[in-house]
Amino acid sequence: MRSTEFLIASDNMKTLKFLFTVFIVMAFMNVHSQSQQKIDMKLDAVGNSKLTISMTMNGQQWQMWLQSLGNNPAALKREAQRSMPAYFLDDFNLEKNDMERSFVLSLNAYGACKVDKRGNWILETDQKNANLTEITSHKYMLVSSPPEFGGTVQQTFTIEFPEEARNITVEKDAFGKSIFKFQMKNSTAGFNIMLWAGILFLVMGGAWLVKNLAQK
Amino acid sequence: MKSKLTPIILASIGALLIIGSFFINDLFRSGDLDVTIEKADFIMPAAHRVYANPQALNGKYYLFKAKITNNTNRTLEDVTVKYQIPGYIDWTELTVSGEMFPGQTLVVPCYPKFEDKITEKTTESVEKAQIHISWDGATKDDTVEEEFSFKLTNRNEYVYTGIKRDEISTWSDMFDNDALIACFVTPNDPIVKYYTQNLQEKLMKGENASVSNKPEDGIRLLASIYEGTRKSHMVYSGTKGIPQSTEDVQSIVQQVRLPREVITGNTGLCIELSCLYASVLSAAGVDPIIYLIPGHAYPGFKMQGQYYAIEATGINGEGLGGILDAEAAFKKGSEQLAEFFKAAQNGDPRYTLVDIHAVNQDGATAMDLRDDQFLRGKVDQVVALWSGGTPVDNNPNQQPDTRGPGNNTIVIPDDNIRTSALSFTIPNGWQTYMKPLPEMPILTAQVMAPDQLTTVSIYDIPVGSAQQAMSTIEQYFSNYGMSSQYQINGSTIAGQTYSNNGTFNWVGKALRANGGIRIVAVGAPDYAYNQKTNEINRIFNSIR
Repeated sequence: MRSTEFLIASDNMKTLKFLFTVFIVMAFMNVHSQSQQKIDMKLDAVGNSKLTISMTMNGQQWQMWLQSLGNNPAALKREAQRSMPAYFLDDFNLEKNDMERSFVLSLNAYGACKVDKRGNWILETDQKNANLTEITSHKYMLVSSPPEFGGTVQQTFTIEFPEEARNITVEKDAFGKSIFKFQMKNSTAGFNIMLWAGILFLVMGGAWLVKNLAQK
Repeated sequence: MKSKLTPIILASIGALLIIGSFFINDLFRSGDLDVTIEKADFIMPAAHRVYANPQALNGKYYLFKAKITNNTNRTLEDVTVKYQIPGYIDWTELTVSGEMFPGQTLVVPCYPKFEDKITEKTTESVEKAQIHISWDGATKDDTVEEEFSFKLTNRNEYVYTGIKRDEISTWSDMFDNDALIACFVTPNDPIVKYYTQNLQEKLMKGENASVSNKPEDGIRLLASIYEGTRKSHMVYSGTKGIPQSTEDVQSIVQQVRLPREVITGNTGLCIELSCLYASVLSAAGVDPIIYLIPGHAYPGFKMQGQYYAIEATGINGEGLGGILDAEAAFKKGSEQLAEFFKAAQNGDPRYTLVDIHAVNQDGATAMDLRDDQFLRGKVDQVVALWSGGTPVDNNPNQQPDTRGPGNNTIVIPDDNIRTSALSFTIPNGWQTYMKPLPEMPILTAQVMAPDQLTTVSIYDIPVGSAQQAMSTIEQYFSNYGMSSQYQINGSTIAGQTYSNNGTFNWVGKALRANGGIRIVAVGAPDYAYNQKTNEINRIFNSIR
């Protein structure tokens, strides 16, 4: 049954909201066990992210998923795009393993982070008191069980920040929602060789002239 | 002299390089901000609150979404995105990004906030949206300006889908906007409220479905709405529904008369009648449901986890003949409901339902409509027909309403809950599987909730005691790699069953039946048990 009452998005990480599409069919299944879903989010130095979602299902879930989305990757892509209006998604890649009843979906999400007026990079979780665990200085984990799936799905997110990221902290925004705040030196900013060569020549010429004048 | 010339030349070259670097930067600066825009093709005024709310229906209804990538070699400061829809929305700032580094992408979705008066729009038009992107220090040549057109429908138009025509592959894709039908359900419309109050007072002589939370009271309300439409000689009639196209989207665009228009115009199509019923039910505090099936829609409600329906178009009209009374309309609705659940549970995507309050909570809320004395007068005329109209021709087999002197002659059909031979009350809409496992003959039946979480199992075991019955069940379970722990307290049993699928919590009763012991157990997976406690207790209490 495709019931509109089930079309409720996850309140979990905004960038990962589309995951409900993967599970939309599961709301209608005879799911008597909790399913696990793993989501890796790897941020790059300009605030975009690479998402990799993997999951293994039981036979019944797998058949239902194939019927609805698994055999129609274009619909899966569209649902993902419509479910994540705050981001631009591309480079979708779906790998299915029928033998193991599992899939791995990867995609790029542009604009996952934003920069505030003070130059801080911000990644929003869109979740109050997010239960975040620091794995390393650049890697965090979040485990959640979205209530809209009746507790049938446990999602494990790992968020990996780029090497350029510094001073990563978990803070709260004005609305009490957890956010990641960090600094990141922009590695792709162009080095203006003309400007620096000009300054060098100017300083050298000036120093040389001052020296010659002083010798006289 | 020569000793001064060389350093002067060196310093001069340096100065030229510094000046030149700024010119070179300026050359790179313009034209290298990449902008990609995704736009909506239709905007429905009825759903203007959905478009305005980024949280509504997962934020999928936006006017446009801009992807802006800084392909220059410098950091842009205070990048600002503004938009306007001339005649509707003045220049409005969407976002300001403090800094935008080279290579960085900014994604800006636009959720336009139209004024409430847009719901007075009665004609369709093509409008333009203009977008302006600028940043600190940008010259007029640097700034980016884009514009696109979209169709702004009239307030009655409902566009079935917003999915691009070349992406449509399934039935669901063609009816992707199902949830937006909730925007046409207007319980807060003063005219609908007035109509509902009249219905409760003059026709029903009192109504308490939302207070008692009893299905029979909900059914009485449903039947009364039907009687209200029938007594006022409301008729079934069609409206325009034609395919419309834009550059990317092709969809049926249906004219949907608002509930106030159905009441005062005394005519409606199936979807319009469904919206009217849903509005009145919602105004009365009952959870309305609209069932959508191929080529048809009918209304109903949900109470205590059970679903009810009525065939609202049974009123037909003298010209169409075959006017059903309330009981027949309810019976037909119940039959359709049984077919609905059968088809839906078989995975037929054409059978969908819209839980109005659920989608309301998700942001698909009704439009604001103003009070209107003229329309109130029309409602008064309709209400007058209730008392002056032809009396209801009751079926002689119908039971009289025994709610006291306020009897309004509406006969409430029997409660749709049925007490079956399975020793408990099966909620409406639940699926019953008789002898689901041939290799487990003691399992007489299993009854499943529509969400397939709550399950009732009925075992008939030819033994003399509950303990022996449970031991027998345990033996069968072991064949399936399952095990149970339980406690027997008189005729009540509570326990847990473990399997590869996890833990299943249940409560049940042992009854004497068919010369043996019948165990009726109701439960849910452990993770959903708390959520389903009320439902489980209700069924447990009905075991007899």
